[in-house]
Amino acid sequence: MMLRLDKRDFKKFLEDLMEEFDLYAPASLVEGVSVFKKIDNPEEVNLTPTLTQKPAKETFFPQSEPMFNYKTEGHKSQMKSLDEIKRERILLGARPCDIEAISIIEKVFLSEPYTDVYFLEKRKKTTLIGLGCNQPLSTCFCTSAGGGPFLRMGSDIFLIDLGGAYSVELLTEKGRLFGKNRFLKEALPEDKRQIKELEKRAFEKIGVSIPVDGIEKRLDLMTESSFWDRVHEKCVGCRICTYLCPTCHCFDIVDEGDHARGQRVRNWDSCLSSLYSLETSGHNPRPTTRERVRQRLMHKFNYFPKIFNRVACVGCGRCIQYCPVHFDIRQAIIWTSSKRPSELKT
Amino acid sequence: MKNPYLPIPMVVKKAYVETTDQMLRTLELVFLNKTDEEAFQYLPGQFCELSVLGKGEAPFGIASSPTEKSSLKFTINKAGVVTTALHHLEEGDEVGLRGPLGNHYPIDLFEGKNVLIIGGGFAFTTLRSLVVYLSHPENRSKVKEITIIYGARMPGLLLYKEELAQWEKRDDLNLVVTVDWGDKDWKGKVGLVPNVLEEIAPSSKDTYAVICGPPIMIKFTFPKLMALKFPNERIYTSLERRMKCGIGKCGRCNIGHLYVCKDGPVFSYAQLEKLPKDY
Amino acid sequence: MDERLKKIQEKIREKSKELLSKKRVDLIIGFSNWTLPLRTTPVFIRTPEGTESLIWNSFCENNLATYIHKFNRFRVGIVVKGCDARSLTALSLEKRFNPDGIFLIGVPCQRMVDRRKVARAVKGEIIRVEERGEELLVEGEEFKTVLEKRDFLYPSCQVCIHRTPSQAHFLADDPVEEFPLVETHPEVDVFEKKPPEERWRYFESETSRCIRCYACRQVCPMCYCTECFVECLRPKWIEGGLNPQDLQFYHIVRAYHQTGRCSGCGACERACPMDIPLTYLTQKLNQDVKELFGFEVGLDSKTPPPLSTYEVEDKGDFIK
Repeated sequence: MMLRLDKRDFKKFLEDLMEEFDLYAPASLVEGVSVFKKIDNPEEVNLTPTLTQKPAKETFFPQSEPMFNYKTEGHKSQMKSLDEIKRERILLGARPCDIEAISIIEKVFLSEPYTDVYFLEKRKKTTLIGLGCNQPLSTCFCTSAGGGPFLRMGSDIFLIDLGGAYSVELLTEKGRLFGKNRFLKEALPEDKRQIKELEKRAFEKIGVSIPVDGIEKRLDLMTESSFWDRVHEKCVGCRICTYLCPTCHCFDIVDEGDHARGQRVRNWDSCLSSLYSLETSGHNPRPTTRERVRQRLMHKFNYFPKIFNRVACVGCGRCIQYCPVHFDIRQAIIWTSSKRPSELKT
Repeated sequence: MKNPYLPIPMVVKKAYVETTDQMLRTLELVFLNKTDEEAFQYLPGQFCELSVLGKGEAPFGIASSPTEKSSLKFTINKAGVVTTALHHLEEGDEVGLRGPLGNHYPIDLFEGKNVLIIGGGFAFTTLRSLVVYLSHPENRSKVKEITIIYGARMPGLLLYKEELAQWEKRDDLNLVVTVDWGDKDWKGKVGLVPNVLEEIAPSSKDTYAVICGPPIMIKFTFPKLMALKFPNERIYTSLERRMKCGIGKCGRCNIGHLYVCKDGPVFSYAQLEKLPKDY
Repeated sequence: MDERLKKIQEKIREKSKELLSKKRVDLIIGFSNWTLPLRTTPVFIRTPEGTESLIWNSFCENNLATYIHKFNRFRVGIVVKGCDARSLTALSLEKRFNPDGIFLIGVPCQRMVDRRKVARAVKGEIIRVEERGEELLVEGEEFKTVLEKRDFLYPSCQVCIHRTPSQAHFLADDPVEEFPLVETHPEVDVFEKKPPEERWRYFESETSRCIRCYACRQVCPMCYCTECFVECLRPKWIEGGLNPQDLQFYHIVRAYHQTGRCSGCGACERACPMDIPLTYLTQKLNQDVKELFGFEVGLDSKTPPPLSTYEVEDKGDFIK
């Protein structure tokens, strides 16, 4: 079902949503830095930046999340897993790449035989409202990674910025529940054409130039390639690319507190950290950035597809934008299909 | 829905130091709740995450065998924060447990075959489980010969000494215990595991080899097994990796597309051969 | 392209080519253009022909000294600005590498342009940029504008005095004049004028954005501890989550560990994906060290940093 929301009604529309739901949406922290956060005031919502710094995965997989509280008295310990979510949630304004990434992380967290209850609880109680990308960035390559700037898949509701209004598509049963909202009006006849136009422009801008197709097979033959001797050189081992990646999902589990009282917490972790795989004995199976960068790229483009039949990259380009030494994952992908290792530079 | 991250409560029934260096301590744990006990079904080679609240969790191979109903046994090498805390537990203390996790030794494949078990140092824990399991009256007839080569640096560092003495006496187990350096009371073999293997040269015909030990031992033992013509498909090992969740979610312990916690810890060499060499 | 920068670039290439041809070094660490405008990338060149990709412009913002830890077993030629060279001097005092194995290709620095500030000055994504003397020509799909470089320099570069890497084995241009554009680091200036509570509020609010990616630590040549205090488990100093106290603790200790060691290159701040100002802390400490001890980082290769040494005659006054 296709509707339309006048931008003048947007704030009031959000207020309506917030009556019933916890709303998560992009908000600026300072000029030029935005993240998905729980919205207290509709004024905070800022849908202008094409990409937030931190991706929407945080809404389901927070950077730091308590798993359970514990208390010990004498010999006896009590552990209390955190309460279920009382209020349904809405994630609004996530771009198609971020939404697709949620379904990628979901494959891991919900795969049998163990279900990650923390992820599941948030996932099943959240309605996803996606937002089309009218202005993709030069670093976007979603179209090469199996997605697209207007990919509706995964969204319950999909918004497209038409200038003075948003086009509102109710795509799933969950989404259609919002059809009765007083601010949603019937779509205008010309909306469809305008959307087509916007889609065409965005697609043309991004193009499909990054050879992600077939990369799993190419990398099968490259596990010990000299490629890895060069590709990692500039990596300084920070965690930006993994923390800002919408599909990276590794975590650490630690106890905060003492024996008597505290909580077990999971924190994001990164395969690029030297400590990530360091064993207590001092042995580190991935001792240098060579092995760590290989792990990052192989996991995304070879190991993950082997298990889940899809690359763990949605082409959002955050890792390119924010890498302090300007590592460009697109070039690494391109290189896997080139025949001239000497020209390697990433 | 069951929360796979929530430990179940266990109680320390018995705790004792195994080795003269005091670094290896065995904990015998019993279930606090009957329902947990009934739900806990395992096979040799599987592991558990043990938690000490406030310190964290770490993975340990189960050293007891499912044929021993009284308790679960873990032998813990004191190395880091969690293992040190586990060394300080006393009888009656509570400890958290998640498991059983991971796969097990391919016991089905062993049926009607010989089994060669090679262990070194404190990695002998899950091999003990395997020996106890296979030599149990219910299972002994399922496999043919069982040969065990177990080595430690010094006699005082051998695990499960009383049991070794009992196994020694059994005529349905060929046990060879060796140490790198003997002492005045040591009457057994002196020599490194790979050399002892070469010396006793067990036939690879109809035989599965299971090998667990420090990386250096594995490195030198493997060629000896090759020389004895063990095919990669019939050599199994149990890998250790830094782990957190133990259920294939947190990343970290993968080797290639396989996760040591979920797809392992037991792998055949035929499997490992195909993976990148970061282990 | 700017004439002076072009000349420097030629010199860098020439020298690198010579060093590699004569096998004086195993590799050259320098800068190269890459996929985004307003950016460059570190490159590791091993062949004389490869030196053609070396470049020089006002976006060579990385401190390449940080790679010395990774390549300290090789003979390396490194392209350095004044600040980068001072980091290396400080590192040589800490015996982090063999000074004989390193060749510094020094560039008297024109001060680096703050790419984020430029990006904020225009509406839309920048797709092309060109340097013309004191100006930047910035283009997007729907705009084309000229900016004064001077208005878009990194804070650490505005305050920089020792822009000529006088320690270098080779200088790609004549030394530049030793003067800061502004006397005090602009953020230190603002910060110092605030009353203490407000200072704290500012610090608190800025560090609250930290995502613990440790990019500030990883890009810093002076942060090379095998085990950083944030990751030390015995004892555990700090939790791994986003608790405000932990974030503050991390940033305070990180800054303090730099006292008398920080060359003021600003790499930490540039690396931060969350735009957290970081150099006002280290610059303030540098200022204090200069006032209290008359010491500036990396000016000579003999004087150890004041906080890393002591003499029996030291008076304790400064501690009071």
